[in-house]
Amino acid sequence: MLTIESGSDGVVVVAGRLDAAQAQAAQAYLDRVQGSVTLDASQLEYISSAGLGVLLKTQKRLMGSGGKLKLAGVGKHLHDILVYAGFDQIFEIEPAK
Amino acid sequence: MTLLCASPPGDCRRFDRRIDALAEIVAFTEQVFARRGFDRNLLPAVDFAIEELFTNSVKYGVGSSSPITVAIAAIDGGVQVTLVDADVPPFDVTLAPDADLTLPIEQRVPGGLGLHLTRRLVDVIEYSYSPERRESRIMFRKTITGRPAAEAKERTNADD
Repeated sequence: MLTIESGSDGVVVVAGRLDAAQAQAAQAYLDRVQGSVTLDASQLEYISSAGLGVLLKTQKRLMGSGGKLKLAGVGKHLHDILVYAGFDQIFEIEPAK
Repeated sequence: MTLLCASPPGDCRRFDRRIDALAEIVAFTEQVFARRGFDRNLLPAVDFAIEELFTNSVKYGVGSSSPITVAIAAIDGGVQVTLVDADVPPFDVTLAPDADLTLPIEQRVPGGLGLHLTRRLVDVIEYSYSPERRESRIMFRKTITGRPAAEAKERTNADD
């Protein structure tokens, strides 16, 4: 199960499991965001390579128009995945508090 | 496949060859971990590896309608997972190249990360193929104290 929605402060909040079965819905949502966006991942329990692909595609699109996607509230497991994927070189990552 | 699911039967299940089956696989893995008292710290890596290997089978096993079997067994300090995929051509997941993480973002593509990451999250991953049954069998192990399978591969490559 995955939920993704924009908070009142413009932060996009993603919660649940971003796996191959949910990647298409997540991509459809993120295809609509513009500019510089923070993705609150503090409630993201799990991400697979399909989910990473969604983040990468979104970052490439936003950076192409001068914006960016920042990842916030990143827990240890998600952080490990991001580093193994080299995404720490592509994204600004803010660890979970 | 019969032997794989022979004992204990609750730790082995067949899943339809479709991406939507992932939710059922996650529930199955969760149930096995709870019932067998496996260390939950292993669960994220095990879930990740199973999803990547399962979706890989779904993507590249076009033409097969056979279900994919997932079996989870206890080993010292962790778990061993086996996936059996029938009626498919061989595809040795251990030989798939690593993703090039040095590329600038403009040249990075979403594909290729799944097996790259799986090799870094599990301790051991092995592949075998039976031409008679046209059956791929992938086994991986994950323990609390284990080192990533990718490190062993890098050591082997360095020795060559």
